[in-house]
Amino acid sequence: MEGKVVVVTSGKGGVGKTTVTASLGAALALQGKRVAVVDMDIGLRNLDVIMGLENRIVFNVVDVVQGRCKLKQAMIKDRRINNLYLIPASQSDEKNVIQPENMKWLCNRLKKEFDFTLLDCPAGIEQGFKNSIEAADEAIVVCMPEISSVRDADRVIGLLYSRSITPKLVVNRIIPKMVERGDMLSHKDVVEVLSIDLIGLVEMDESVVVSSNTGLPIVMQKESKAGKAFMQIAMRMNGHPDLPVEDPMAPKSFWKKLGGKISRKNKVH
Amino acid sequence: MMMFNALLKKLMNRGDESKNVAKKRLKFALVYDKLEIKEDMLEDLQRDLIEVISRYFEIDRQQMSLDIERSEESSALIMNTPILAARHKKPQRNNARA
Repeated sequence: MEGKVVVVTSGKGGVGKTTVTASLGAALALQGKRVAVVDMDIGLRNLDVIMGLENRIVFNVVDVVQGRCKLKQAMIKDRRINNLYLIPASQSDEKNVIQPENMKWLCNRLKKEFDFTLLDCPAGIEQGFKNSIEAADEAIVVCMPEISSVRDADRVIGLLYSRSITPKLVVNRIIPKMVERGDMLSHKDVVEVLSIDLIGLVEMDESVVVSSNTGLPIVMQKESKAGKAFMQIAMRMNGHPDLPVEDPMAPKSFWKKLGGKISRKNKVH
Repeated sequence: MMMFNALLKKLMNRGDESKNVAKKRLKFALVYDKLEIKEDMLEDLQRDLIEVISRYFEIDRQQMSLDIERSEESSALIMNTPILAARHKKPQRNNARA
């Protein structure tokens, strides 16, 4: 059976596409799937450093589509996680050296070998975006609970629909205590405005920064809330679409805890 | 207890919660983004409308106006044209087009 090609996109830059791609790739592989992740950001590659594989690059995706190397030669195997491979972007080429036909050809080959091929789409809606969505079967739109990010997500969702792809939404970097005091859009607000299905919620988590410092996958850090959230999103992509999405909650203060206890007692009596 | 919390929240809040402002601004932005119309589109539409209306009415083409009016709730296409006379003959599509 052929695998799926999933593009991770957002429109706006800096909302966490690369972290989401790296984490979902690692999570799916940990769950026993064969996974290839492809960095589509030609000229500004970053997926390699986030995954901690930057010093093993020999060939890249441009080399593959231009026939300078075999597909296998450009695939970097992650030594910590079985069945996880990275195809890095080129750092020196122009964005338009790859055309949509090239990506279709590449993804058709990857589909035969991998259960999931994740494409880390560059920011914007230019060539790199067009190449990525042309080859994709499914899409994950990453957005932060913030006006400019939601607006750009809406634009990208429209472009995906016009390619007959119904994307799923990840709301990233939620700060629950700001949501609780009404100073941040809640995921419900975002879903209402964008009217697409949610596939996961990820809290703002300092361990993501630590993970990118060290190049260790966040999903391997057992204590990380973001890591757990990514594992759950991977489960939903991987045969458990109905796994419930939990509301991120702020840690409760002393007075709120006390309030909760009192109201529970009242209920009993 | 819930009521007390809600009351406290209301007292603490200085007017609107900022996320409600964000949500409102966002909804407007999205509506306006989608209504962005290229300049020549209205001209083309006006030409086509004149062609269709002229099959039924004699109109003053110079006086005709076509605009998009935007309000908070919705947007409307407003066309205004003086009618000089009605054409009583049944319009024939092929002739009208020619």
